[in-house]
Amino acid sequence: MTATSVARPARGTRRERAAPGLPGGRVRSGTGRLRRERVGYWFILPTVAFFVVFLAYPLIRSFYISLHSWPGFGPEKWVGFRNFSAMFKDQVWRQSLVNTLIFTAATTVITTALAMVVAAVLKAGWRFGVVFRVAIFIPALLSLVVSGTLWGLIYEPSFGILDQFLRSVGLHELSTSWLSNSHTVLPSIIVVSIWQSVGFFMLIFYAGLQDIDPELYEAARIDGASVVSQFRHVTVPMLRTVTSIVVTLNLINGLKTFDVIYVMTGGGPDHASDSLTTYLYSLAFGGQVAGAIPLIGYATAIGVLVLVLAVIIVSAQLAISARRRVTA
Amino acid sequence: MTASEAMILRGPGAYSMERRRASVRHVLVRTLGYVVLTLASVLCAFPLIWVVLTSLRTPDSALGRSFIPTAAEWTAKAYSTAFNSAGILGGLANSAIVTAATIAGILIVATLGGYGFARFNFRGRRTIYITVLSTLMVPAAAVIIPLFLELKIFHLLNSLPGLVLVYLGTSVPFAVVLMRGFFERVPEALGEAARIDGAGEFQTFRLVMVPLVRPALLTLAIFQFVATWNEFLLAETFLRSPGLLTLQPRVYAIVGQYSTNWSLLSASVVISAIPTVILYVVLQRRFVEGLTLGALRG
Repeated sequence: MTATSVARPARGTRRERAAPGLPGGRVRSGTGRLRRERVGYWFILPTVAFFVVFLAYPLIRSFYISLHSWPGFGPEKWVGFRNFSAMFKDQVWRQSLVNTLIFTAATTVITTALAMVVAAVLKAGWRFGVVFRVAIFIPALLSLVVSGTLWGLIYEPSFGILDQFLRSVGLHELSTSWLSNSHTVLPSIIVVSIWQSVGFFMLIFYAGLQDIDPELYEAARIDGASVVSQFRHVTVPMLRTVTSIVVTLNLINGLKTFDVIYVMTGGGPDHASDSLTTYLYSLAFGGQVAGAIPLIGYATAIGVLVLVLAVIIVSAQLAISARRRVTA
Repeated sequence: MTASEAMILRGPGAYSMERRRASVRHVLVRTLGYVVLTLASVLCAFPLIWVVLTSLRTPDSALGRSFIPTAAEWTAKAYSTAFNSAGILGGLANSAIVTAATIAGILIVATLGGYGFARFNFRGRRTIYITVLSTLMVPAAAVIIPLFLELKIFHLLNSLPGLVLVYLGTSVPFAVVLMRGFFERVPEALGEAARIDGAGEFQTFRLVMVPLVRPALLTLAIFQFVATWNEFLLAETFLRSPGLLTLQPRVYAIVGQYSTNWSLLSASVVISAIPTVILYVVLQRRFVEGLTLGALRG
């Protein structure tokens, strides 16, 4: 749903349009021009209406609810920032924060590195290059729900293809119930996330590689640079802008990860794979099933925290790329 | 040092030595490249091949036999179960409706909005634009609870129109930013020419400007298709009746209901992937453009 894009600050207001001299000797008057500019309000009206009703108001409401104790019905009770301070005493929240950080760090580093290396290798030109590219990209066409379902079958302990494979090559002791073992559950889900997204980011790097001047490689070759040092000293620096976009997208995706965890484990076993988002979801909506009172205020506070973290990530990326533009 | 330099410095003998060493290294590098690519492709594609094979065998034989089904094990029964009793057809239909409505809506809203921000210099334009822009990265989790309450008040909870409205609202910032970018690249003179010919502002927009950005509309439609078709969190939260579930919550429900029927689960995975794969095959480069554009532009 939310757009996967990196916001770049808008360019300065477009220069005032000079009233053009019209044929027939008529020059448009200043008030006529203003009237024309005001038509713009009608064009942006639907945008603003949707924005206010489904984004701006819900965001404000989120901040409001997060400062209250509220079971979802009846009057809200003002508690200030106590929902936020309560998190630090909440064992499960701490666990899901740590899980989210591990998940985000691991998927970001591994996906970015793999995607960049594979794109660079692919760029060198190969017979059947298209076949490789399509094969690596195809998982990106699957939704995370579908990917999670598929890998749930792969990880199944008695019949899943992974444990079958491990047993068949004599590694019995390595086979385990991947998703119900609290030590293996998070890495197992991380693998699924990387598998699903690496092809997408590979294509982004691949597109970025097309913009690198081939003469840079030519020059490096003449200087006797090996393939590896060409990658290190030409490819990596030249891809810096694309890399920062890829890293930001991965950080945001990791931070808000929900689908794949919810589908594969529901956060279990015993919260070992809960992320901030799955935890807040179970607080707000899971309680309806269990018959517990939903902690809407507390859950919303966790949602606000996720938002704040996302804002920090995006601001950091914007600040870094702005500074780079200045020094470059 | 390159081969030709070596020849100048050390004579022909050294040249051939150098060349042989260079070509050995070349072969090594190429081989390593093939190994890397083959490994990556196999790791990515193998689970998909496996799930297709598993979906085409009898349920009991799906549990741990040979990788390739034997002749007696082949069957398409899982697919008929998926369509007839597991409700995947309903999921496909609901997703098709929701996705089509969302794409149609976003094309209208974002073309109008993008044009408005790109071509008119009304008061407050910059402030409004930046406010909209600043919500590009808002995670659904941060607004899901207020959205739930809001839909409840409007009596739009557990309804497809309600879901479409939420999809539109949360997709608007990105789509408008994208369309504004496209409209800014259209030469201004074209609009002026239409106005001189007596066209009104809306006529200019509809008859001159929109046709000029038609490729951009396809790009936006593809992007929106993938985003909406694959969306799970909001659909799972706002839809309750089994008959209303879109594809992703439907698949999740099937996992819960038929957790031991492996061929059925595999068939559901395959069926869910097919529409996107078809779109990818048909549109190829445009599809990849639409998908990656979200990351590179904006």
